[in-house]
Amino acid sequence: MSEPLDLPLREQATAVAAGELDAGELLEAALERIEARNPAINAVVETFPERSREMLAAAPDGPLRGVPVVIKDEWPLPWRAQRFGAADMLAKTAPGESGPYRALRDAGAVVVGVGNMHELGSGSTGNVSVYGPARNPWNVERCPGGSSSGPAAAVAARLVAGAIGADGVGSIRYPATYCGLTGLKPTYGRSAMEGHHMAGVSTTIVSGPLCADAGDCRLLGSVLFSEELQAREPRGLRIGVIENEVSEDVSPAVREACEGAIEELRQATGGELRTVELPELPAATLATVLIANSESLGSVTPQRLNNLNPELSPLGRGLLKYRLMLPAVATVKSHQVRTMARQQLSTVFDEVDVIAWPTVPAVAPPLEAPLVELPSGTLTADAANVRGGALANLTGIPAISVPVGFSEGLPVGLQLQAAWGQDELLLDAAEALERASQRRWVEAVPPLASTEQAGA
Amino acid sequence: MVDHLGLPRQMEASKSPDDFIPAALAAFGVEADEIELAVMHAAHEVFWPPILELLALDTGGVAPEPAPDLSQLPPRR
Repeated sequence: MSEPLDLPLREQATAVAAGELDAGELLEAALERIEARNPAINAVVETFPERSREMLAAAPDGPLRGVPVVIKDEWPLPWRAQRFGAADMLAKTAPGESGPYRALRDAGAVVVGVGNMHELGSGSTGNVSVYGPARNPWNVERCPGGSSSGPAAAVAARLVAGAIGADGVGSIRYPATYCGLTGLKPTYGRSAMEGHHMAGVSTTIVSGPLCADAGDCRLLGSVLFSEELQAREPRGLRIGVIENEVSEDVSPAVREACEGAIEELRQATGGELRTVELPELPAATLATVLIANSESLGSVTPQRLNNLNPELSPLGRGLLKYRLMLPAVATVKSHQVRTMARQQLSTVFDEVDVIAWPTVPAVAPPLEAPLVELPSGTLTADAANVRGGALANLTGIPAISVPVGFSEGLPVGLQLQAAWGQDELLLDAAEALERASQRRWVEAVPPLASTEQAGA
Repeated sequence: MVDHLGLPRQMEASKSPDDFIPAALAAFGVEADEIELAVMHAAHEVFWPPILELLALDTGGVAPEPAPDLSQLPPRR
């Protein structure tokens, strides 16, 4: 790791602030690296070197001054409207200053590119996009995860050290896992969301950081939260585990890695494991999907559905039309399930500090056929992933995915969830886990991003 | 009474996309090509069984959490 771009986000920021690293050179290096490595992974769908140089020239002395970052194609920039990974997103958009953009700009960061994403944010794999699929830097024939596919792939390939994603139903945590990163889904409402076309409408979507490790997520998260996320030593951590399909209908290698990591975390914090029950979890999963899908229906009309842009994928067209048929009573009941799940969790978090289970039940599936083999049989990755990812979005609690191993040469992730507002605790726990594993998972770099092999 | 109309005495729940999607599309006046229909059929097979389970759940006793603040834990009951 001798290239400045290979340094963690916080070390890049510190080096620039100390005058040890020239921010102009760092920006040009990022642009060169995107040009060299991005064709293999299609993580960054647009760069704008002159805009980036202007940002750098005007950058204030903030905590990220001069540090290049990527932002997902989900927020407008002053010079570019978001496309939501789609040829037709059914919502009016225009260039503008979104909350995440303002937070980055005011911190002195330099937006160096826009990250690819799964079309309409409606998939956990990242293999469908108006820009073509993003690819996983660990194996370019595998899915990078979605919907924040590009931000994750960009960080994993070390095009940048940090990226902004969005998580409406697991969309930061799935790609974090598939790409071997740390991804934080903040408590609902705690991170910048202004300017998102669903801001004020969505009750599930939040912005959040994707970085190599928890320390960088803490820094980028602090910028998105507009408050410093303080670090504490987590001692005596009460770790909740659950005995149902999210922890048991999981590939053997993922299960072994996650159970090992949970035990490492317990030992590292001098904590204890407690079995918890969440009987409403299956209903909560469906409720999340129904609420998330129904909240985006305001701009849908039969006439609009009959005039969709033909460049929208057949999958996107079919799913948009199917959404129209979701029964209202199911959505009403979904909101009641949300109430039940929130009540259950408030009781569970009296007993435990975090709940742990595998972020997704299997490693990244093939791009061409995103199916996963589980003990219960073959499932689409979307159907399998949503089981573990939805609860945090439904209830508003924070969640983090942390890399904890490899299987088939692909990363495995563990998800930790905590009570409302306890985002800092998740970062503390993730850092404790990194120390316990001698940082071997967070410092692993895909061959594509190895400076020696990749050249740039 | 319904026998006089030639309808079955009791309608049975159907999980078949063919019993649902064409009728729903027609009711909304939405067109769909073959590929879109195939996508909708696949989605229906995934979503409809759990939706029926959800519909069977009696949530009438669940006290509402009006305008929930999702950034906070819910009020204690």
